[in-house]
Amino acid sequence: MIKARRKIGLHLLAKSSFWLIFLIGALLFGVRWTKGTGYMDFYAVLVKPILPGTAQREWIKEGEKIEQKIRIKLLEDDNNRLRKALSLKSFNADQRISAAVIARSSRNWWQKLEINKGAKDGVTAGQTVIGPGGLVGIVDSSTILTSRVRLLTDPGHQIGAWISRIKQHGILTGMGTNRPKLIFLNKNSLAQIGDAVTTSPASTILPPNLTIGIVRFVDAKALPSPYAIVQLTASPEAIDWVQVLKNNDSK
Amino acid sequence: MIRNNKKLLLFFTVVCLPAFVIGSPEWLKINGITPCWPVIWLLPFSLKSRPWIAFLAAICLGIFMDSFTIDKVSYIPSLVFLSLVWGRNRIQNNKIELLFNIGLMSIFGTICVGFSIWIQKILFYNSLRNHWFNSWAIYVLISEIIITGLVAPFFSSWLLLSYKKN
Repeated sequence: MIKARRKIGLHLLAKSSFWLIFLIGALLFGVRWTKGTGYMDFYAVLVKPILPGTAQREWIKEGEKIEQKIRIKLLEDDNNRLRKALSLKSFNADQRISAAVIARSSRNWWQKLEINKGAKDGVTAGQTVIGPGGLVGIVDSSTILTSRVRLLTDPGHQIGAWISRIKQHGILTGMGTNRPKLIFLNKNSLAQIGDAVTTSPASTILPPNLTIGIVRFVDAKALPSPYAIVQLTASPEAIDWVQVLKNNDSK
Repeated sequence: MIRNNKKLLLFFTVVCLPAFVIGSPEWLKINGITPCWPVIWLLPFSLKSRPWIAFLAAICLGIFMDSFTIDKVSYIPSLVFLSLVWGRNRIQNNKIELLFNIGLMSIFGTICVGFSIWIQKILFYNSLRNHWFNSWAIYVLISEIIITGLVAPFFSSWLLLSYKKN
């Protein structure tokens, strides 16, 4: 008796069981290759309705904020302690005096603000004045009830400034316009447009790391020293309230 | 009438002048620049007073104005110079009361005061010497000239008439 030869060939493709096996195999390979992405995504969609709600999210955020505040406070205390050890200037965030601007001369021969807090409230000459955006100026003189603030833009007014990105000092000089000039002490200045300008962390006159402005123009080849033009972040023309920073050593 | 004029003068000198200098009202500004109030006050006083009185008034006014500035730059040299120049022109000619003349004299005074402050600033601050062209100073000077030229004919001529009536 002659046995019929088993049928092998393309006719197998026509059988549904072959496609089933092929699909299962392809699926397994796909799952393995994508490291189960589909399953995970499907799981995420599936459990979305029973995930922790917005209230819990708020609690977590609140907790993070508190943690950050504590961390900042600890770092500030640590920083102040180290600065004290190095005899550098420091300030305490709690010792701020809020004051309203009662008169303004931000474009005249003298660029100054008059504020409604004076010696009675502990404001003395040389204290730093900040507004929304950063450093505004320095207290020039104070009476019992008012103080006169010399703006950073006042022609000839000079303070030390610092660009943290390139770690270089410069002298910020008021030029009568809204854009004071930052004269670098180092000839090889690598300042770029967009660099943030702050008060020097090693300053013995001003509190450290207060924002002053952003570099808008750099002339690296200028003589006798390179300079940059700084756009102030705090606009004295628009500020109605300022804060006077009391130093830690002042009572 | 004379009494009233004296009261008006006293009111302007004791109340209005300090108020305008300190408060610098927004409605009396051009480009954020106030009129040159010492010039507006000194002009009629110098034209109607004896030269030495005008000289003393200029020094007093300069001391008063300097109390509102924030550096060593002083109003006194320019105001003294103006009091001497205007004191020499102390004439009884009625034409001096014309608004146009008062305006021109106040513009001259503002230019003198402005240049004096500018030069003193350059002398006192090394950083300003590097640039002979200080754009801020020209901006302030021109704005101050315009606003003083507009305001002075009203205030100064009124003060001059009040002095005359006294």
